[in-house]
Amino acid sequence: METKEEFLAELSRCVVEMEDDDISAVAEDYAVHGYAPLDGILDGLVDGMNKAADLYEREEYFIPELLICSNAMYNGLDVLRPLLPQEEKNSKSKIVIGVVKGDTHDIGKNLVKIMLESAGYEMIDLGRDVAVDDFISTAKEQGAEVIALSTLMSTSMVNMEKVIQGLEAAGIRDQVKVIVGGAPISPAFAEKIGADGYSANAVEAVKLVDRLLAG
Amino acid sequence: MKQLTAIDRLTAVAHGKKVDHQPCICPGGMMNMIITEIMERSGISWPEAHSTAEQMAALTYELNHAGGFENYGVPFCMTVEAEAMGATVDMGDAQTEPHVVDSPLSSATQLDQLAPFSLDQGRIPTVLTAIRLLKAKGTGVPVIANITGPVSVAGTLVDMTSLLMELRKKPEACHRLMSLITDNLITYGQAQVAAGADAICIAEPSGTGEILGRRFFHEYSLPYLNRLLDSLEVPVKIVHICGRLHSIYEELSALHCDAFSFDACVSIEEIKPYLAGKAIMGNVNTHALGSMSGNKIEQLTKAALNKGADIVAPACGLPLTTPLANIQTMVATVRNEFSGDEQHELSD
Repeated sequence: METKEEFLAELSRCVVEMEDDDISAVAEDYAVHGYAPLDGILDGLVDGMNKAADLYEREEYFIPELLICSNAMYNGLDVLRPLLPQEEKNSKSKIVIGVVKGDTHDIGKNLVKIMLESAGYEMIDLGRDVAVDDFISTAKEQGAEVIALSTLMSTSMVNMEKVIQGLEAAGIRDQVKVIVGGAPISPAFAEKIGADGYSANAVEAVKLVDRLLAG
Repeated sequence: MKQLTAIDRLTAVAHGKKVDHQPCICPGGMMNMIITEIMERSGISWPEAHSTAEQMAALTYELNHAGGFENYGVPFCMTVEAEAMGATVDMGDAQTEPHVVDSPLSSATQLDQLAPFSLDQGRIPTVLTAIRLLKAKGTGVPVIANITGPVSVAGTLVDMTSLLMELRKKPEACHRLMSLITDNLITYGQAQVAAGADAICIAEPSGTGEILGRRFFHEYSLPYLNRLLDSLEVPVKIVHICGRLHSIYEELSALHCDAFSFDACVSIEEIKPYLAGKAIMGNVNTHALGSMSGNKIEQLTKAALNKGADIVAPACGLPLTTPLANIQTMVATVRNEFSGDEQHELSD
């Protein structure tokens, strides 16, 4: 590989084809050639992740594949991100994400985080089994514009509503968009608890956040 | 003519026979049946009921006794298996189900770090005693023993994200892990049956088509579920798989269960052709059960029956805030909708 286009295509391919072991060397080689790290990220790594997401939407890839693709993307990011000039490190809005109290199933949350991160958002991941107050205090301290809540368990759904009530009590409900998702969650439930949006999967979540923040 | 018991009814329907009315059940386990109203009525509450056999038995007894589902079911969570195999569990509180907070392994390759499994570990004795207590009541109400499916247990023993990647990258290690987990679940399930369980329900919330896709469902879910099912000699074997199922419709007929239960997002009419020879169980929307009026519950219950549910059940675990009245309405609706002309008598 010599040309920038060849490198970008190879970075993208490594993500789509799950070459998470080989991608670091390709990214280092790309950097050694003096090509712009931001292009490597956007036109190489993120391009590959978008293609992986397409395959997931077409049900050619499922979660194991998508996770390995994202692992490849992160390995590439580990090489290229530190090389970004300071002014290019600014990202889009901050998003606080986590699995609500009472639940530790975090695959869905991780996928949403991956897709939002590859779309350029700065993700603050509180992990799983997260107390209601932690979402609120973190969003406040970090000036986050979105809180993304996930759960797989119907017995934990009630904690999503508690986060929204907590934001109201803290007087910052109008400063933060709340989106919800997870197997037992429906658009009707999202509407009932006063969430700003629901998304059925990680790819849709990016479109949802883009839409909410544009509006 | 002998009056059918709820056990007769469930067993008959699970094997394709017609009865006076379809059973209306909620197995427990992942398919949570316990609600706050029942805790208040019985004076027995989570989290204590997860660890005390008498309380566990009394809580599920109370729901049935109050005109709720036509079964007993234990335990009330999906953490008993993982805890007994070394995972750390937060027992939750009156509003929160027990959940695994720490996985003992970070990779399937660390299998040898798991402690040997035995029936006296964790809350296994609690569950087995609760089954014995419920069986001893002799009420004719089926005791359903719940088991968390092999992939779902694997996903709590090993961090789920790592496990999913390793299914692809380290198949040998994953199969060794799955095999060991399945052996442990067989030991547990056989003990549940020996304690008096009338039915077994295996819930596989993580080993789904939606998460794994058809290839890995076929490789990792199906064979271990079947090995577990084949090792349990019990009149009724139920499998519940969460999420959308269209990617694995073709796989479902290979499951060795009597009844198959699924989420509200799956259409009964659509899935039915793929479940020949199995009882269709489901799939009343739990969000509706938790929040809608009695009229709506009646409508949804009738719709499930009309579309062909052989066993009517909630599509997923119930939220704790579900009103008892809605459960009573669901059960009463099924009881009042006769499925055929033959009454109080089994017929083929």
